This record gives sequence, C-alpha cells and structure tokens, in this order.
Amino acid sequence: MVERALEGVRVVEFTDETGSYCGKLLADLGADVIKVEPPGGGRQRNAGPFVTGHDGEPDASLAFWVHNTSKKSVVLDLDSPAGQAKAKQLALSADIVVEDNPVGYLAARGLGYAQLHAEKPSLVYASVTGFGQTGPHATWAYSDIVGQAMGGLMTLAGEMADPPNMIYGHQADISASIHAAQGVMIALLHAEETGQGQQVDVSAQEACSMSQETAMQSWDFQKKNRVRTGELGAIPLRLPGAGTLKTKDGYVLLFIIAPAGEDLPALVDWMREEGMQEDLDEEPYREIISALNMGFLTQIMGDPARAAQVIGHLPHINDVIGRFFESKTAKEAYEEGQHRRLLIGIVSTPADLAENTQLRTRGWYIRFPNPAGDSTVEFPGPPYRLSESPATVQRPPRLGEHTEAILGAL
Amino acid sequence: MTKRPLEGLRVGDFSWFGAGPIAGNTLAQFGAEVIRVESEAKLDGLRRAHPFAMNPDGTFKDGYNVSGYFNNYNCGKLSLQLNLNVEKGQEIAYRLIEKCDVFLTNFTPRVVEKWNLTYNQLSRVNPRLIAAYAPMQGMEGPHRDFLGFGAVLTPVTGLSEMSGFPNRPPFGIGTNYPDYVVNPGHTVTAILAAVRYRKRTGKGQCIELPQLESVVNTLGTAVPEHLVNGTNPSRNGNRSISASPHGAFRCADDPESIGSVDRWVVIACRSDAEWQAAAKALGHADAATDPKFATFAARKANEDELEALIGSWTAGLKAEEAAATLQAAGVPAGVVQNAQDMLDRDPHMKARGYYRYVDHPEAGREAHDGPAAVLSETPGDVPGPSPLLGEHTMDVCERIIGLNMDEIADLLADGVLV
Repeated sequence: MVERALEGVRVVEFTDETGSYCGKLLADLGADVIKVEPPGGGRQRNAGPFVTGHDGEPDASLAFWVHNTSKKSVVLDLDSPAGQAKAKQLALSADIVVEDNPVGYLAARGLGYAQLHAEKPSLVYASVTGFGQTGPHATWAYSDIVGQAMGGLMTLAGEMADPPNMIYGHQADISASIHAAQGVMIALLHAEETGQGQQVDVSAQEACSMSQETAMQSWDFQKKNRVRTGELGAIPLRLPGAGTLKTKDGYVLLFIIAPAGEDLPALVDWMREEGMQEDLDEEPYREIISALNMGFLTQIMGDPARAAQVIGHLPHINDVIGRFFESKTAKEAYEEGQHRRLLIGIVSTPADLAENTQLRTRGWYIRFPNPAGDSTVEFPGPPYRLSESPATVQRPPRLGEHTEAILGAL
Repeated sequence: MTKRPLEGLRVGDFSWFGAGPIAGNTLAQFGAEVIRVESEAKLDGLRRAHPFAMNPDGTFKDGYNVSGYFNNYNCGKLSLQLNLNVEKGQEIAYRLIEKCDVFLTNFTPRVVEKWNLTYNQLSRVNPRLIAAYAPMQGMEGPHRDFLGFGAVLTPVTGLSEMSGFPNRPPFGIGTNYPDYVVNPGHTVTAILAAVRYRKRTGKGQCIELPQLESVVNTLGTAVPEHLVNGTNPSRNGNRSISASPHGAFRCADDPESIGSVDRWVVIACRSDAEWQAAAKALGHADAATDPKFATFAARKANEDELEALIGSWTAGLKAEEAAATLQAAGVPAGVVQNAQDMLDRDPHMKARGYYRYVDHPEAGREAHDGPAAVLSETPGDVPGPSPLLGEHTMDVCERIIGLNMDEIADLLADGVLV
C-alpha cells in the first residue's frame, strides 16, 4: 500500500463556499477530512446545478461535488449545546481545522481559535473568509463576487461599455482556498516538527491581489490605473494573427504575432495549401504579412505615415484570415495550427474540455460512484501528479454519511 | 527575529515568467532559500516587461532590474546567472541541484529535455530531490509541445468561454489569470505535501503540474455539468444561478480615481431577506415587497428589469457609500476596486498591512504582494528586494555549490556564468 502524502493527518472543516476547496486539496492528497455540516446542508449543498432529475437534493449538487471530493460528512447542529460539544470533541481530535464562517460565529459556539488552541496547542486552525480576521471590514458580508470586486480582478475584465466582468467559477473563493492550503501545509510542517500550532488567517480580498497582474505596479510606479480593455486589448486595433476569431463551430484565440513559434507567413502557407490565401500572396499584403510581429508594430508606431499606410490594409488581411478560420472547426484550427507551431488556442467549451485530446490521452478524467444514484460518473482528476504519493479524487460524501461512524468512534 | 518555517529548505528555481517564479516567491516568503537560475542567453521576458520604475524626471528606468512585474515575483531570491545551453552550464546545474531540496521549473518539456533537466536525470544526481515541473499541457501526451503561455492558456482551459457577457465573444478576462494564484498555489501545495512525504519516508519524487489540468480543476461546475448531465453551459455575465440580484451596478463617477473614473458597486443577494434588506438600505422599501421581485424565482424572471432598477438607485451614489450602506444592512456588497484603491484608498487593506514596501537598489521603493496566508506564529514576509540579474552568482558558486575561485574564473571566461 502506497503511503499518502498527508497520511495520518486529520482535518475537521466547518466550511461552505469559501474554504471547501482547501479541504478538497488536503483530502485528495490523503488527509482524513471530515466536513461538519448543518442539518440539511449548507449553501453549497443547496446550490445548483444539480444532477439532472435530482433538483434540490443535497447529495446531487455539482457545486458541492467539485469542492468536496474525498471528504467525509458529519451532520451537527452547532446551534444546540449537544452539537457544539460533539463538534468541539471532533475538532480537538484533528491536526487541522479549516473554517470559513463569519468572524466570531464559531467562537460564540466554543469553537474559536483561542478556545481550541488553549486545549490543543499543536492545532493548526485556518480561517478562510472574505476579509480576514482583523481590520475594519473583517465583519463585512461576503460572497465570491464581492471578493473579486474588492480584490481588484473585476476592474480589469470586460468591455468599457459593459459593467466590469466577474470571472467564472468562484475564483475569489478558489484563490482564498489555495492560499489557505499553502498556509496550512506550512503550519502543519511546523507543528509536526515543533508541536506548535497556530492560526492561519486568509482574506479572499488579499488572495485576489496577486492576480491584478501589472495593475498594482502600474499604480505604485506610475500612478496609473489599469482598466478593462475588452476584446481588443491594450492596442485598440484588430491585428492579423491576433485576437478572438470565429470558427465553424466556436472560437479560437490567435497570438501568432507574439515572439514564439512560427510567424504569419506560416499561416498563409497553410491557407494556400487549402486554396484559401486569396490575394494575400500579392502586394501590398505579402510584404506586410512577412513583417508583421510585435517588433514591427512597435517600430511603425514611431512612423505615423507608414503606420497609416499599413493600418489601412489590415482590415482586408483580417477578413481573409477570418474566412479561413470560419471554414474550420475550433478543434481543427487549434490542433492543426499548433502542429504547425502557430500560437493558437481553442476557446474550449465544457464539452471541448471533456473531449480534449490531451486530457483524454493522459487519462485525466476519473470515475466514481454517483453519490445521488446507482450509476458511476466521470469527473475531473486532481490538479497535479505526484509520482510517489499521488493525489486521488474519491467521490464526495452524502450529507451526514459518516455521522454515526465518526461520532461513535470519538 | 523568529525562525521562519521553511528555513533550511533550499530551492533551485529554474523557472520563468509568472507561474513558476511565483511558486518560488511564496516559498521564499516563508523562509526557503530560493536560488533563481537565469541567463541573459534565455532571459526571463518579465525582466524587460512593463511596468518599469520611473526616474524623478518622469522617464522610465531601463535595464534588467527595474520591472515591477518581475520584481514582485522574485523577492528575496538569490540570482545565479547560468547558461544552460552549454554542457558546462548543465554540469554546474547538477552540482547545484545536488545541494537542493526542491527543483522547480515551468519550461516546456522540449527545453527541459534540451537542458538535460528531466526527472530521470535529476533523480540520479539527487535521489532525495523533489522536482516540480509545471508546463502548460504536461510532460507527456500528444499536446505536450503545444505552444502557449497565460494568454493562450486562458481560452484553452475554458475560463474565456465561461466568463463575460453572453452577447460578447469569449475574449477572456483581461489578464493571464491562471498564472498568478491557481498554478503557483497548486504547485506550492504539492511541493509541501512532497516535503512531508520525504520527511516520513526519506523519498524524493517528481511532481508534474500540467497547467491545463490545474486550471480545469478550478473551473466550477462547467465540465462536470457536461460529464454528468450532458449539457454544455456557457458564460452568463455577472449573474448567478443561486443569487439575485447578483452583479455590478454603476455609481457616480469619481474624478479622484485616476484614469478610471467609472465606479461600480457589486451586490449579491442570496436570499429574499438579503434582497429586502438591500432595497430598504438603498431607500426603496416599496420595491422590497413588489411581487415582481419578492421571491428568487420572480427576481430571476424579471432580472433585466431588476438590474435596471437597482442601477437607477445607485447611479447617483458614491460607490464606497453604497457598499457601506448595504454592508450595514448585512448585504454582501463591495466596490469594484482598482489598484489605486487597493494600495492607497482601502482602509481595510491598509489596516491589515498586506502590501509590503521594499527598497530596491535600482528600482527604488516598490510595493510587493505580501503573503496572503497570515500565520500567527511563523508569519511570512517579503524577505528582501528582488535580485539583480546575476547578483548572487559568485555567492552561490562559492558558498552553495562549493566552487573555488579558479573554477569560477574559468567558468566566467568560458561564458558559462552569463
């Protein structure tokens, strides 16, 4: 039997949307993660989308599944003294507690950091919340979009004509959970070496900060705010071989003019092989295509007359390239383009990802029993591959599935 | 100063751009000794990328050491200049890796193989090594040599398809988002798990983080909806299937928000009670009980109208005041903040001291992202400025690798330490 990376580590979590991905990472790495849930389940259990035909069933929430694989579930009513006492006993049996409740909620139930730490000094206790445990906004109400907004992500996403865009997939929650997992692992190593536990305090707002990319330094150095620049990006000009293009059945992103891989003439070679180069082999297009890359663009910016001349020809080149991609499926454009070393990415839909050649060939998707039925279902595998102590993804628990067994063994 | 928790862990950071170096950055913040191996022969593009520090006369500083983009991801590391395109450089790399606990790279498999840095090779040099590879697609498989970096990875992972408004093409999310937290954070989590495993078993191992797998893992329910239910969901703007209203609403312009005067407040009402509290807080108790909006189902059915109505309420308000008013009523709300807000105007960020300011010998005083996990007993910190290119070449060669002065002189003369 292979020893797991987190063999022998018990985690008790009081988490819902914000901290549960942290527990999933620990559980997939082999920790014994026990999720304490309220009767009926929390917000995530009751949020859709659900397995078809099982609307509203807490065991059938895909939102719950994705962040709660490989865990066990114990139901306790933390508003009752008996539930609080059991929860405390359970938490004190753990090496790590992860929670994401409003500040003060668990302390009011005898389950705060100070209370548990006093009884078990080696305990690692992570609080994963919108704004952290301290500061004037610590008690602010939080939901993922609030973290993305206050953390600086949304201001960078979208068209200026639209409201700023949220990134799909609860990314403020994910960012907070991933930072928590790193903090918990550091604290666990320290606790195992010294016996000293500690509190790990993660703010979703801060967890988003690193993802502002260069916006933070643009302000720090230059007192300029980066803003959302939409489809065309920082250069408000549609450039051949760059940007989001329609295909027969979807979209691809082209970045052929970036300094990697082959340049635009290689795309025209491909178009010619299929008889779709139209007049791009003729002047003035040929010359522009052979020169067009990021360096060339920088160069002509300093020569307004030349720039105007070149820019006038770009829409036609864009149109011809556009017609070529509209004749292909997104997958054909992506795979064949990449085989020709052209920097092209497919704009994957969920179905594209489910069928992605690379993921399928490598056997990334796993299969587990459907917690809401008798069948088995396919599911995404773990985020990393460890050669000696692999992460594995087991099915998420049914609500309260392990209540009796775990409380009975305390 | 208290001992930092990862002191004694030595990391050979053979990575570049974002996803790799940020993983090394986190380890350095918690006390690991991180040796950034880099070369003018294959320069990290971020060293030459905006934004650059400014001179007092308003011009940009120039050179390899003044990019805020690079500097933010490499705090407190040691920089060893080493040309891995030559065999001697690879020999020195092995001698360094012998002394390392962790090896880290995000170069493509082709480059890793060209430089003879595969796990098979490195584990012979150092069997206890934890070697982490974070290429875009993976070290194996039919797409392993596909080209790409953040800008191309984002659409391939599904983030572009799933984000933004449905009436717009899937043009992406404005940044190379997966590079900054998801991929480096997963990498560090795996490395630390492997450190624990090694403490218990004595065994090193190979970690592979295919960025595609790492990011699809965080793509909400999108792919499981297809795998389990056979549907193919797409983007739906700022709306939520379990909350309404859920979005960003325009407030009064703020001329003090430099170059970014449009201001927005986000609101998320996850229950009828939160909706009623929001409407009352914004001075529209009548709407709170309007049957058109009284239940979640009704609000979803009339969501266009609901959003227009809320927009009309917020239009004249200062975003900060709208957020504070809603928060006082217990409603999740916040300002769509820009970097100016994050660094200089948000009282909460200031009170928590997340950003750390460090004096850099060439760039000057600069802001850094601090550790986002705040540990009470063994806190991380920004351990120092980012290294100048090759700043620690001599130190690393002598102190860590154990080369003598004659050997170092030969390597310099042979163009290995460039």
